[in-house]
Amino acid sequence: MNALVRLFSRPWIWSWGAAFVIWFATIMVTGGASTLGLTQAALTFAAFSIIVGLGQMFVITLGPGNIDLSVPATMTLAGTVALKFMNVENGMILPGLAVAVLIGVAVGIGNYALIKALRIPPIIATLSMSFIVQSAAIWTNRGLRIKPPSFLADFTTSATLGVPNLALVALALSLLSWLVLEKTVYGRWISAIGQSMPAARMAGIPVDGVRFITYVFCAVLAALAGYLLACFSGGAALNMGSEYLLMSIAVVVIGGTAVAGGDSNVPGIWGASLFMFLVVSMLNTYGLGAGIRLIMTGLIIISVILLAGGRKPGAR
Amino acid sequence: MKIRKLLLASVAIACAAMPVSALADTSGKKIALSNNYAGNSWRQAMLESWEKVTGEAVKAGVVAAADAFTTAENQATEQAAQIQNMILQGYDAIVINAASPTALNGAIKEACDAGITVVSFDGIATEPCAWRIAVDFKEMGRSQIEFLSGKLADGGNLLEIRGLAGVFVDDEISGGIHAGVEQFPQFKVAGSVHGDWAQDVAQKAVAGILPSLPEIVGVVTQGGDGYGAAQAIAAVGRPMPVIVMGNREDELKWWKEQKDANGYETMSVSIAPGVSTLAFWVAQQILDGKDVKKDLVVPFLRIDQDNLEANLETTPAGGVANVEYSQDDALQVIEAAN
Repeated sequence: MNALVRLFSRPWIWSWGAAFVIWFATIMVTGGASTLGLTQAALTFAAFSIIVGLGQMFVITLGPGNIDLSVPATMTLAGTVALKFMNVENGMILPGLAVAVLIGVAVGIGNYALIKALRIPPIIATLSMSFIVQSAAIWTNRGLRIKPPSFLADFTTSATLGVPNLALVALALSLLSWLVLEKTVYGRWISAIGQSMPAARMAGIPVDGVRFITYVFCAVLAALAGYLLACFSGGAALNMGSEYLLMSIAVVVIGGTAVAGGDSNVPGIWGASLFMFLVVSMLNTYGLGAGIRLIMTGLIIISVILLAGGRKPGAR
Repeated sequence: MKIRKLLLASVAIACAAMPVSALADTSGKKIALSNNYAGNSWRQAMLESWEKVTGEAVKAGVVAAADAFTTAENQATEQAAQIQNMILQGYDAIVINAASPTALNGAIKEACDAGITVVSFDGIATEPCAWRIAVDFKEMGRSQIEFLSGKLADGGNLLEIRGLAGVFVDDEISGGIHAGVEQFPQFKVAGSVHGDWAQDVAQKAVAGILPSLPEIVGVVTQGGDGYGAAQAIAAVGRPMPVIVMGNREDELKWWKEQKDANGYETMSVSIAPGVSTLAFWVAQQILDGKDVKKDLVVPFLRIDQDNLEANLETTPAGGVANVEYSQDDALQVIEAAN
């Protein structure tokens, strides 16, 4: 009983519960025949939201005002440049990955340079950065769709023991993030800064260094997601990152991470990402019009956040 | 002196090449393109066509300037501000691909009141003082079903991929598709998703609905989404339905690969991005004093099994099958409307 109460006090349980209910409602339409197909599709597409969501979660945990709006542009630039660089050759996969990561590092450094050196609020700094990055993506390839190397295309679209490879990549990154957040000093520092920056500064935490690393980490994860997405969908497109701007923020919030910062939640990102994919699939499957679909999506998200956010005052 | 002579000569040549507008009195006029979005291959092709055709026209002295401006955020308010700037900068005509059919009407009215010719195309504006170059999007949707009825006599279930919810073009094409299904009742739309005219969004949406769908014989689309649908269907190993394509290079390339491998047959239809150049010539003709009807219709560009290779060859990598319009084409369209 006590264990059950503890379970329900976890902020991530609600996104998982919602994802499960919707998954069940969707497979019931076909009497269970679509179970495997839907589960695999959900895991595959949720993987992208999970990867960008993890990075965004680190940034949001830094406290009020911290957000990275350059995620979609970074995904697009990393995807287009990496695919162009690899030029369909299997031997270039690792150098291509390195290029994508370097783009992420560069964008992250640029973001924090704007925030720190020019004292621009993160929301404006990352937004302006995203214009620069998106223009760079347009300039580098003008919408040219180069196919990914065959090995990478196979890897991203196939499954190991029934689990999509992309979901395994997302799982590995999630475990890494969880370890960093929960078991390292750096993770504790992020939470401390998010709870009170002045207090963190007085406690001797290298606030600027931690924030800098966090913005770079977020951009690198976005670049990685762009690299994988471009390989998965058979080539990069100029608008391929656009839906991950709101998605990356939504999965963090629905997953139970405190919007005000200082408290992060890795399992919740999984529940929320699966939920976000499944809710669209369910409403599509039931054949509802776009208007109703958007209203329903909004209502469902609000109810999940209300349930997940129902923490007792002072519970922290 | 020499440059002056050269200019005169090129103007003379331009005049000779254009029998109808014998007087090139638009040579001092400035035309601006107000564009609301540049982030996909179609819009990139549109801007390139504009640059190419108007660049030659400016060099030939047909008009003094033809500058293209794109807003950053695809917002109607931003584009309205852009149009107001163009009024202040003294352009004689503004060619618009509008972010919204109604939200720009105020700014467009201001431009008209300032004596500026406004021509909207693709994303048209409903303001009565502006000209509209529209595609018969309804027919574009209906013709897809008609094509499928010739290909699949027994009919069956269709999957519809729509565009961006709430956009006028999406409603029009979808309306045409549903009218087509009424006309050919052997077909049934078994599922409908929004692909936002983007391959990756379409792929995601199709992958989500596919497990719960019965067997699909055809996929009707709006352009920019066919390749994503093919990827999603191939990933689950279903038999490949007839996917109507939308003239993007990756879609045509995929079709060609399938055609060579197993004789796959389909068709491809979309609006050519070069329609921006048609709008340019129409604006030029209006400035020239030509009497032009307010509503013009531009034909859509259709690719079939037999002219696939020819079209694929002329389509730039990563681009869209395109037609650039000449002044004569514009005159023909204008005549057809009268």
